[in-house]
Amino acid sequence: MSIVVESVCKRFGEFVALDDVSLVVPEGSLTALLGPSGGGKSTLLRVIAGLEAPDAGRILIAGDDATPRPARERGVGFVFQHYAAFKHMTVRKNVAFGLDVRKRPKDEVRRRVDELLALVHLEGFAERYPAQLSGGQRQRMALARALAVEPEVLLLDEPFGALDATVRKELRAWLRRLHEEVHVTTVFVTHDQEEAMEVAEQIVVLNGGRVEQAGSPRELYERPANEFVRGFVGPLTRLGDVEVRPHDLEILLEPSEGSREAMIERVSLLGFEVRLDLALADGGDAWAQLTRERADELELEDGQIVYVRAEREVALT
Amino acid sequence: MRSRLALRALALGYLALLLVVPVGVVFRRAFADGVGPVWDAVTTPEALHALWLTCLMVLVAVPLNTVFGVLCALVIVRQRFRGRALLNALVDLPFAVSPVVVGLALVLVYGRTGWFGGWLADQGVQVIFSPLGMILATMFVSLPFVAREVVPVLREVGTEQEQAAETLGASSLQTFVRITLPAIRWGVAYGVVLTTARALGEFGAVSVVSGKIAGRTETLTLLVEDRFQGFDLRGAYAASIVLAVLALGTLLAMNLIGPKGERG
Repeated sequence: MSIVVESVCKRFGEFVALDDVSLVVPEGSLTALLGPSGGGKSTLLRVIAGLEAPDAGRILIAGDDATPRPARERGVGFVFQHYAAFKHMTVRKNVAFGLDVRKRPKDEVRRRVDELLALVHLEGFAERYPAQLSGGQRQRMALARALAVEPEVLLLDEPFGALDATVRKELRAWLRRLHEEVHVTTVFVTHDQEEAMEVAEQIVVLNGGRVEQAGSPRELYERPANEFVRGFVGPLTRLGDVEVRPHDLEILLEPSEGSREAMIERVSLLGFEVRLDLALADGGDAWAQLTRERADELELEDGQIVYVRAEREVALT
Repeated sequence: MRSRLALRALALGYLALLLVVPVGVVFRRAFADGVGPVWDAVTTPEALHALWLTCLMVLVAVPLNTVFGVLCALVIVRQRFRGRALLNALVDLPFAVSPVVVGLALVLVYGRTGWFGGWLADQGVQVIFSPLGMILATMFVSLPFVAREVVPVLREVGTEQEQAAETLGASSLQTFVRITLPAIRWGVAYGVVLTTARALGEFGAVSVVSGKIAGRTETLTLLVEDRFQGFDLRGAYAASIVLAVLALGTLLAMNLIGPKGERG
C-alpha cells in the first residue's frame, strides 16, 4: 500500500521536528529515511505509524486519510531500535501477540507463528525468552511480530542501530531479501548513508525537519540537489575550490593538464580499497580512494610526490 | 577480605540487636509455660475480634491502596501536567506526617463536632470510634507504598513495549493487562507487602480514632497495648506473636511468589 505524507508539521515545544514535510512512498517499495540525528526522520516515521499526532498535515495510507485513526487501526507494523520485546513472554507469545489480541483461533495462530519463525530463522527459539536471545535474534523476533498481523506497511526505526557491525551487515542483506519475499511497503529510518544506499530503492534525505531530496540512491549520489545532500550521501574531498568524491581523484605519477602536485602523507590499506592522505603543494589537504590494484600498479608509498586531478566534479542539479 | 567480613558482621550484628533479639525475647516469654496459655490468650473473644478487625483493615486498605497506587504511579510517570510535582509530593505526605496527627485530623474532620461529622451522624454514619474511621486511618498511613514501589519500575520499563502493543492492534485495556501490569508486577507485589505490613502494624492513627472499645474497636496492636497496660503480659505477648506471624507470613509469601534471585 502506498503512503502519502502531505505537508506534515510537528513541534515539540520550541523545537521544530517536522517542517512542512511531503513525500510519496510507492506501493511495495523499500524506502529509507536518511538524515542526521535530530533531523526529524524518526518523528516522521512515528507520525506515519500514529504514535505521534501531527500538528498539521495528513497521512494517507492506501489512499485513505489515516490521520484521525489511532496506531492500532492503521495496519502498520512497527519495529523499534531497541526491539521493544515483551520481556515476560516467550518468543512464540511475542510473535503471536497481534493475533492473540485479535482473538484468532489457537491452531491458526500456532501455524502462522511457526511460518514466521521459519521466515526469520528462529525456528528453534520459540520457547525462549527475549533475554535469552542475542540482539540480532531479538530484532528478527520483533520483525516477525510486526509481520504477524499482515500489516499494510512496515515501519522500522533504526532497526539495526543497536547491533554490532557484522550482525548489522548480515541483517541489511537479509532485510532486502525479506522485502523481495514479502513485498510489503517498507520504510526504514537510518543515519547511515551506506546502509540506506545498500538496502533502499528510494532514499528520502531529511535535515532540520525538511526533505532535502528524495530519489534513487544513484540520483542522490550523482545528482545531489544541494550541498547538504552532496556531503551527506557520500564522502567529499576538496581540491582547491573544487569538491570531488575521493574515488573520482585521479592519481598520476607525471604532471598533466589540470593536475596538482601533492605529497602522499599516508597510504592506508582498507581491504579492497586504498586510502591516500595527501598534502597539496599549494596548501590544503585532500584524500583519495583507489582500488588496491591501481595502488599496487603505481607503487605508491608514504612521502612520494604525485599529481592529482579531478576526473569528475559532483555538480548540484 | 577482612573489611568485607567486618562489614558483614556489622550488618548482621545490627539486625540481630534491633530485630532478632527483641522478637526472640517476645517469643520466649510468651511460650515460657508452653503453648497452652498462649492458645488460650489468643482465642478469647476480644482477641479473636481484634484479629478479625486487623484482617478487615488489611482486606479493605490493601486492595484500595493498590489500585490507587498503580493509578497514581501511572499519572506521575506518564502524564505531563501542572500540579504533577504536587501530586508526587502529596503521595509522600503520609510518610512525613506522624500517625497521631493523622488520627487527630480525622477526628477534626469526621468527629461529632467536626466538618462532616455532624452531617454524617445525622445520616446514621459514625466514623470516629468505629471501624470505619480506623479503616480510613489505616488507608491514609499505608497509602504511599504501592505508588512509591511502582513509580521507578514504570520509569525503567518505559513506553516502547506499550507502543509496540498498540501498533499490533491492542486496545488500551489489553495493553494495560497484557503488557504494563506484567512488567510492573514485582513492584506492585513488593508495594502490596509493604502496605500489608503497615496496615497490620498501624498503631498511632488507629489508636486516636478507635476509642479503644474492647471487643468493638480494638485491633491486634491496640489489644497488645491494652493487655500491656493491664499487666496481662502473657496476653500482650500472645497478641504480639499473632502479629509477628501475620507479618512473617506476608514476607514469606512475597519471597515465594517473587522473582528468583532478584530480591533476597
